[in-house]
Amino acid sequence: MFKLLYSREFRQKAVPYLLIAPVLIYYALFWLYPVIQCFAGSFRDVNNKLTLYNYAFIFKDPTFYKALFNTAFIVVFSVTLEFLAAFGLALIINIKFKGSGIFLFIAMIPMALPAVAVGAIWSSGFATYGWLNSFLYYLGFIEKTAKIPFLAGGNVASMILIIIIDAWQVVPFMMIILLAGMQGLDEEAKEAGYIFGGTKFTVLRKITIPLLKPTITTALILRIISAIQIWLIIVMIYGFQRLPVLLEELVYYVDESHSMEFFRIGIAYSVIISIFVSIAAVIYLKVTGAFGKEAEETA
Amino acid sequence: MATLRLENLSKRFSKKIWGVRKIDLEVHDKEFIVLLGPSGCGKTTTLRMIAGLAEVTTGSVLIGDRDVTEAPPRKRDVSMVFQNYAVWPHMTVYDNIAFALRLKKADKKEIDKTVIEVAEMVKIPELLKRYPRQLSGGQQQRVALARALAVKPKIFLMDEPLSNLDAKLRVIMRTELKAIHQQTKATSVFVTHDQSEAMSMADRIVIMKDGEVVQIGTPDDVYFRSANVFVAGFIGTPPTNFFNMEVESKYGLKILKHPHFSLELDEQQGRILKNYDKRKLILGARPENIILTDKDKAIFSAKVLVTEPQGSHKIIAIKLDEQIVKIVAPHKQKAAPGELLHLSFQKESLHFFDHETNWRIEQNGA
Ligand SMILES: Nc1ncnc2c1ncn2[C@@H]1O[C@H](COP(=O)(O)OP(=O)(O)O)[C@@H](O)[C@H]1O
Ligand SMILES: [Mg+2]
Repeated sequence: MFKLLYSREFRQKAVPYLLIAPVLIYYALFWLYPVIQCFAGSFRDVNNKLTLYNYAFIFKDPTFYKALFNTAFIVVFSVTLEFLAAFGLALIINIKFKGSGIFLFIAMIPMALPAVAVGAIWSSGFATYGWLNSFLYYLGFIEKTAKIPFLAGGNVASMILIIIIDAWQVVPFMMIILLAGMQGLDEEAKEAGYIFGGTKFTVLRKITIPLLKPTITTALILRIISAIQIWLIIVMIYGFQRLPVLLEELVYYVDESHSMEFFRIGIAYSVIISIFVSIAAVIYLKVTGAFGKEAEETA
Repeated sequence: MATLRLENLSKRFSKKIWGVRKIDLEVHDKEFIVLLGPSGCGKTTTLRMIAGLAEVTTGSVLIGDRDVTEAPPRKRDVSMVFQNYAVWPHMTVYDNIAFALRLKKADKKEIDKTVIEVAEMVKIPELLKRYPRQLSGGQQQRVALARALAVKPKIFLMDEPLSNLDAKLRVIMRTELKAIHQQTKATSVFVTHDQSEAMSMADRIVIMKDGEVVQIGTPDDVYFRSANVFVAGFIGTPPTNFFNMEVESKYGLKILKHPHFSLELDEQQGRILKNYDKRKLILGARPENIILTDKDKAIFSAKVLVTEPQGSHKIIAIKLDEQIVKIVAPHKQKAAPGELLHLSFQKESLHFFDHETNWRIEQNGA
């Protein structure tokens, strides 16, 4: 027995597991356990009896489908818009013109603000008597009597507003990721592009963007996952259940409804959202995995 | 094919930093020019201005008879091999080489033919389907070379293309590059800091120092008629030995005095130094021009410090006071450390430089 413990083979095999044991224990305790608890809890009613009621409630609720659609809408459009804006800004700052450092600094300010502050800034901004209308009036764009009711629009208009506000905060974050990627690129690879007949646009399309692919994927996935989780700004500007999205519904049921029954429904919501986020993550792994596969095929 | 002319070309990076200053150079059609100089002397900057990758501060670049000073790289008909290869990692070798041809909208067959032709020229026809990360440094360098050859440029630019290769491969590639040049006859500008590379490849060498051109000449010119102390010290291994001498005249003959020896010059050599009577100068003697001799014919004698066998010959370092003098001797020469050697100069091969300016003292007197 002792012989076995001290054998070289045993040590070589066991040591790695011993080294990662603390991490595994940590995950089991603080991640796996609550996740399982939550999952199990979503199938139980107030009296702890097994039930599908929580899910049935959600799937019968028209608000859920609205929330699902709104979330998808926000994810697709906000991520696209934010990516394009961030990429453009990163390209500009990467030129290193005079004052690009200051520009970068200013652009980063919204990133540092907590979502609550962002919500406060813009809900007071978009209010009919808010600062945005005052500002527009001051500039002479609108009449005093013709204030724009920003917040009175329909579903899509509201979402566009949310997308703009979210972009305001998130574009700098995305830009920094892309900028870091750009600055890590081999300058000579681009220069070779110019030497061998490339215009600025060809070099961007055929060299810069392909070389940036890993950075772009990372930025997009991080954004997709966090776009699914937008809720606080929505609640601060519109309150609960006016512009339903998945996470806002979750918070509503768990936090606002103060009833055990709704709390269970909130837990079911959290399982559903986890599944969506996981799907996004799996797509991410698939996409990056595809890069790996491409490498293997050519080997 | 074309000529390349640089006129009064300067690059200023900031108020205090000049990359290069006032370069005038004419590269002939089909010529292989090497820009040679220590690191930081402005070789890359010069090349980048020729390529259009760096803006010119003053002066102009002419390719053929066209002024391309303001033209973007793609409109200059140049191609370039970068020091760190700069092959595109996301493209196969084939796509790397075909990149420029595709942008020119050449037809598929034409592209195929050219790619295969240049791949064979640089000996990588079997690597066309691979990605750069699957290649060794030497192979990547060949890809970079093939890519540059494929566009059949007017001017072929190379920035230290061999410096990242191991010593043996570097020597092989020298020969191959020279052979490729004889085949393509592309006007070429090759940058290196390695003088032996420059000597073995160049039609003419442009020697640079601190952003300025010091000498332009054939390998023989820069070796046998080095323009100044810097060139004489930079070209050749081991470098030229320098001695501070005082000039005296005796019966119409010039005698150079050194604390350890004196050297009597013949009439013709004396004539070169006619303005240097009672003045100082720097004597340059290449290692192979200091020869071993008998005691009675010796100009000076000194003890051996170390010997460095090179196979075909032997480098002997001797110590003259604090100065180390290196000489080249036949491989059979015995020279134990501490042994006293008797030495003389091959007088006809000596170099004389002005003590103040360090420039070569020319035939007509400086
Ligand atoms: N982008 C730059 N900004 C400021 N100084 C530079 C820049 N590029 C090169 N230099 C300076 O110009 C000089 C010449 O550089 P370079 O042409 O790269 O030399 P070499 O290729 O001969 O080693 C060096 O002193 C270098 O520090
Ligand atoms: Mg350089």
